[in-house]
Amino acid sequence: MLRILATLAALTFLHFPAWAEFSDQYFEVPRGDGPHDVAVAPDGTVWYAGQKAGVAGKLDPATGKIERIPLGQNSAPHGVIVGPDGAPWFTDGGQNAIVRVDPETHSVKIWPLPPERMPYTNLNTAAFDGKERIWFTGQNGIYGRLDPETGEMKVWDAPRGRGPYGITATPSGDIWFVSLAGSYLANVDLETGQATVYEPPTPNQGARRVWSDSQGRLWISEWNTGNVSVYDPASDSWRQWKLPGEKPRTYSVWVDPDDKVWLTEWSSNAVVRFDPETEKFESFPSNRPNANVRQMLGRKGEAWAPESGTDRLRVIRYDPKTD
Amino acid sequence: MRRPASAALLILVTSVTALPSTAIAADSGDPVRGERVFQRCYACHSVEPDEGNFQGPNLYKILGRPAAAIPGFEYSQAMKQKAAEGLVWDAATLDAYIADPNAVVPGTLMSIPPVRNAQDRSDLIAYLARSGRFQD
Repeated sequence: MLRILATLAALTFLHFPAWAEFSDQYFEVPRGDGPHDVAVAPDGTVWYAGQKAGVAGKLDPATGKIERIPLGQNSAPHGVIVGPDGAPWFTDGGQNAIVRVDPETHSVKIWPLPPERMPYTNLNTAAFDGKERIWFTGQNGIYGRLDPETGEMKVWDAPRGRGPYGITATPSGDIWFVSLAGSYLANVDLETGQATVYEPPTPNQGARRVWSDSQGRLWISEWNTGNVSVYDPASDSWRQWKLPGEKPRTYSVWVDPDDKVWLTEWSSNAVVRFDPETEKFESFPSNRPNANVRQMLGRKGEAWAPESGTDRLRVIRYDPKTD
Repeated sequence: MRRPASAALLILVTSVTALPSTAIAADSGDPVRGERVFQRCYACHSVEPDEGNFQGPNLYKILGRPAAAIPGFEYSQAMKQKAAEGLVWDAATLDAYIADPNAVVPGTLMSIPPVRNAQDRSDLIAYLARSGRFQD
C-alpha cells in the first residue's frame, strides 16, 4: 500500500558562519526507516533506502512531503541509485534482489538473484555501465550484472571472497568496485565480467566505498586507515590523504559535479569536504550524535547525507562552480 | 518457538545488562536454520577459531563472553563503554543487539541487515552457541 505521509520536515536551515557559501538542512523521515543510502533524481526528488523498514522513501525537498513505498516481504534495501531511466534502483539485501520503483506509478519490479549460487549475498550497492546494465556487489563475496532489458543476470565470485562493497561507473561507462574485507580496488571487464585487482598503497586499508570524478579517477574511502585515496587509471598512480582528527574512520565518498570530494567520517560524526586543488579538508559535524552516515550522493549544488542513526536526511547546499 | 521478543527488547534497551540471562535461552532455536541466518553476519564475522577477526570480532564462543573482550581487536568507544558497564553477551543481550544494534550500544560500528523475526534471531543465537561458551 502506498503510504503517504505529509511528514513535516524540520525544515531547519542552519547556516555555517565560517563558510558563508554553505547551508545545512535536515529532513525527518518516519522513525525506524533507517535511511541507509540516498539518491537524487534530475528533477530534485530524493529517494532513500529505508533499510530497517523495507521501504523506498521519496522526499520532495520543496515541501518536505515523504511518500513510502513498501518493496516486498523481507525487504531490507541497502543501496539506491537513480538509473539512466530516471527511476530509483535498489540493492535489496533482504530480498536478495535488484528492485526498481517506477517514479510515477510507484510500481515495484523485482529481479531476484539466482538462489542456487548463494541464497543470501548481502547485496550492497549498484552502478549502471555505459550500456544501461546495472552492476552490483554482494558483501558475502560476489558481484554481478543485470540487463533490465532482457532480464539476463550474471553473478561472479569476487577475488578473495567476502568484502565487495562500493561500486561506481566512470564517465566512460567503466565499472569499478572496492572490497572492504579484501582491501582492494577492482575493475571489471564489461563483457566477460572478469575482475582485475588494483592494490592500494596501504595494505589492509579497508576500502569501503568508491566514486569516480569527472576524469575517471577513482576516489576511495578507507575505513581502517581513515584515509581518502585516489587512483588514476590514466597514469597508474595513487595518492592518499589522512582525514583530520586523532583516529578518523572514513566510511563513504562521493565526488560532486565540481570534482570536490565529500566524505563521511565517523569518529567526528561529520561530513567532510576535500578540495583536491587545495588539498584542504572542511568538516561539517552533524547537530545530533551518532548520525551514522553511510553514504552520500547529490547533484550540482547539493550534497545529500542520509543519517541512518537519527532517521534524517541531511543536505548541505553550496555555491557550485558556474559552467 | 516464538518468544516475547518485543517486550524483552523494550526492557533491554533501557537496561541491557540488568536483564537475567535466562530471558531468552540459547537452546530455543534451530542451529541449522541459524547457519543460514548467519549469512547476514558472514561478511564481517567468522565463527571459526582459526580465522581471526574481520571487520567485526570473531564470534567463536561468543556466548558468555564479556563485551569488547578480544585482545587487539579495535572496538568502538561505544562498545568499550558498554563493556565497562558490565555488558556480557548472553542469549538475551545478543537478541537485543542483533535486533537493533544502535539501540543497545548507541554509537556502535556494527551494522546488520535487519533480523526482524524473533525466531530467526533465536536460530542465529543457537548457531552461535554451537561453538561453545566463553571460558576465561
